[in-house]
Amino acid sequence: MTNTVVIGAGLSGLVAAIRLARGGRTVTLLTKGLGGLQLSQGTIDVLGYAPERVDAPIDAIASLPATHPYRVLAPAAIAAGIAYAQELLGDRLVGNADRNVLLPTAVGALRPTCLVPPSMTAGVVTGGIRYVLVGFRQLKDFYPKLCAGNLERQTTPAGDPITARGIILDLPAIEDMADSSALAYARALDDPSYRAKLAAALKPLLQDGEVVGLPAILGHRDAGAHRHLEELLEHAVFEVPLPPPGVPGIRLNEALTALAKQAGVRIVAGAKVVGFESAGGKVISVGQATAGRIRQYAADAFVYAPGGFESGALTMDSYGTVTETIFGLPLHGLGPDLVTAGDPSDQALFRVGVGVDASMRVVDPAGHIPYSNLYAAGGILAGATRWTEKSGEGIALASAVAAADSILKGA
Amino acid sequence: MRSLDVDVVVIGGGSTGVGVVRDVAMRGYKAVLVDRVDLAQGTSGRFHGLLHSGGRYVVSDPNSARECAEENVIITRIQAGAVETTGGLFVTGPDDDPEFGDKFLAGAAANGVAATEISIAEALAREPRLNPRIKRAVAVQDGSVDGWQLVWTAAQSAKEYGAEILTYHKVTSIERDGDTVSAVMCHDAKTGEDVRIGCHFVLNCAGAWAGEIAAMAGCHDVQVVPGRGIMVAMNHRLVNSVVNRMIYPSDGDIIVPVHTVCIIGTTDVKVPDPDHLPIPHDEVQQMFDAGEVLVPGFRNARALHVWAGARPLVKDSRVGAGDTRHMSRGMSVMDHTERDGLKGLLTISGGKLTTYRLMAEHIVNAMEEQLGTPHPCRTADEVCPSGTTKDATYVPENYHVTHRLHDREHDRMQDPILCECELLSRRMFTDKLAELPNASLDDLRRQLRLGMGPCQGGFCTVRATGVAHEGGTVDTERATGLLRLFLKHRWLGLWPILYGDQVRQTALDNWIFSGTLDVEHLPEGAEVV
Repeated sequence: MTNTVVIGAGLSGLVAAIRLARGGRTVTLLTKGLGGLQLSQGTIDVLGYAPERVDAPIDAIASLPATHPYRVLAPAAIAAGIAYAQELLGDRLVGNADRNVLLPTAVGALRPTCLVPPSMTAGVVTGGIRYVLVGFRQLKDFYPKLCAGNLERQTTPAGDPITARGIILDLPAIEDMADSSALAYARALDDPSYRAKLAAALKPLLQDGEVVGLPAILGHRDAGAHRHLEELLEHAVFEVPLPPPGVPGIRLNEALTALAKQAGVRIVAGAKVVGFESAGGKVISVGQATAGRIRQYAADAFVYAPGGFESGALTMDSYGTVTETIFGLPLHGLGPDLVTAGDPSDQALFRVGVGVDASMRVVDPAGHIPYSNLYAAGGILAGATRWTEKSGEGIALASAVAAADSILKGA
Repeated sequence: MRSLDVDVVVIGGGSTGVGVVRDVAMRGYKAVLVDRVDLAQGTSGRFHGLLHSGGRYVVSDPNSARECAEENVIITRIQAGAVETTGGLFVTGPDDDPEFGDKFLAGAAANGVAATEISIAEALAREPRLNPRIKRAVAVQDGSVDGWQLVWTAAQSAKEYGAEILTYHKVTSIERDGDTVSAVMCHDAKTGEDVRIGCHFVLNCAGAWAGEIAAMAGCHDVQVVPGRGIMVAMNHRLVNSVVNRMIYPSDGDIIVPVHTVCIIGTTDVKVPDPDHLPIPHDEVQQMFDAGEVLVPGFRNARALHVWAGARPLVKDSRVGAGDTRHMSRGMSVMDHTERDGLKGLLTISGGKLTTYRLMAEHIVNAMEEQLGTPHPCRTADEVCPSGTTKDATYVPENYHVTHRLHDREHDRMQDPILCECELLSRRMFTDKLAELPNASLDDLRRQLRLGMGPCQGGFCTVRATGVAHEGGTVDTERATGLLRLFLKHRWLGLWPILYGDQVRQTALDNWIFSGTLDVEHLPEGAEVV
């Protein structure tokens, strides 16, 4: 018998479900899609800009506005969230919560992040680094010369010059196909013979001491693909994340989904949660639109982790009315001029969301608790612009762990 | 400074200007067209895409109706690739006066506009999303036209007759020798070079900007009042033929299927400055409400983009009665000889895109009358570009919405698709860039539809930038500038209509550009024109 329902299969939903299940709860995870992690770059961002570039993310949290999810969470919760990701994902993540690193993006910006897959660490910008970026004629989402050109126009944080050049290989993922996705390349690179073919084409073009940046395609399922390619090339190799679908995000998603299943989480995917029943100030059940009927899932605690506007959990209609689509929760951050002619990535609309208290229980803007057993986590939380801050994963982890712990303590 | 000498300078690269330069060149004059920006970047690219059957004017302006009916047939033939022969419907909405339909049918019959009343059932069978509560429906021969294709193919034809087309050439002054125009001075915004164009005649086809141009020649008080209209593109073809309200022409009463989208238009508000066209919230709401009358559920469809255009409305008390003889309906030709004592300058205002060729014919006739060298107009006889007629078996083929799908089925294994929304291949992009090496991504968008689909550049912008950079003609600074400018311009047409699934798309695009690529922290790009 389920006693906890988690809605959403992104980073926060999966992590909350695992923690709850490992803590002894019986967990059902309901999800419409496959979760937002697969669209992500596959790093764990905690806080990259506030709004200036941040070196020590935990230390910088005090400078955020009081409405920011990190300020609502207890300070220890942020470190706990990151520690839990490290515990779950082990050697899939490298780094430390106290310090950001800078990694080249596909267009050559230097992007701050916190924990990174081992396949990316060689790309961390350091004094004297010499990058060679390698693209493929048949992969349209990575332009190594543009990336190299922009890297060369910057310096390391210490002011040292950066050297970079680009190489384009004519090597299809699938024979005779001019247009392959990053995932098609990743699947090709699961095969050691394709890695050998890539190394044979690339190795003669490399110069001593160069660090090789490839698009993030170094194996979908074979975690050893990166290491093997480094051995074949006899060069340090790193992955550069691409626009979605992002292979490093897919890897994390698959790892966490497997952990959830191992922990006994029952995952019901492919159908949207469309309604709920409540009584006595509590959510009694939520209804999922499965084939032919709406199926109710009753529980004594609910973690709502559906994502924000990008997933459709929050919407704005043609009259400008913003709505949370399942529970109709009161929203925080509403006001005039939610969308303006200014920078599209910095719009008040995208800071609108659900409010919570420090236990991650949903609260309305007046501080009232609409449902005493409804907790929220991840992208639905109000008060942050995750893409500009580079804070999405950190918020998701901290809020998921905090929500799960509140439920576990209550039990 | 560069200099060249021609017979005629045409100022303005909208439909009127290119129609005029094509006609002038075909009549044997050495001609050059200058525009301060790209062709059809002004009003001719900012409309709803309707190629009028004439139906819209059968009651309000019968002469325009007749001209539209005739020109519709000509444009559909000579610029076949720019026109989709969608057909159209005029429908009486639930609250509209059904008796207007009688006036409509009588006006159509009297002015050569083909119109047939059909049953409501037949109308709904043709357009299933149409409001089932409509009271009458009349089928007409409206079409849909791509303004950029129309203008570029006419320009191509003009070039084949020796005309030069100089985009991004801003007129800085007009010189006169005594009482006659002698030269047009321009600044090339792409290269920074000044250009002197010696000439005998200037045709001012600058539309809403015609007053500014006339003033440069010392002809003051040419009052052109810009009439702002907004248009909203929806994500799908909610209708497959043009749907008009059968009422006296009003706001928001037309939905036009154009390529893979449909466009609702439009409003008409006089504004002081054609370079600053706001998109007011209440007008956007007005369009959605009007859409609901024709297609119930319109507000639940996804709005993709909004823009405003400036109709050039002439208001000049100093136009003598004698000047009106060359008028096409809604258009006036102003002869500055009598008005300002300056020979060799005509200013053209008003008009509509459907009748652009006919307007050009009138204007060039007026010029030749002054010069005393008449030639016949042949613009209706030859297809654009004319080279395609050399093969006697050639049959012009009209645009069809599945053209690109058909093409990609053939080349997708050899040629990557850069823009999935618009099925734009890498080769199409690199060929156009080779033709226009100084182009911005917006210049290329107007010709290729780059970034005009549902994701509004989310996936194709970096690809286009990367491919342009790899080609070697665009350095990293410029590439970064191109990328940023394109994203900035896309947002201008997005934010006023942002709702529903386009909010979701914008969030995803933000995750891509800001979240994953950190575009905002790239080093400065070059300033891009």
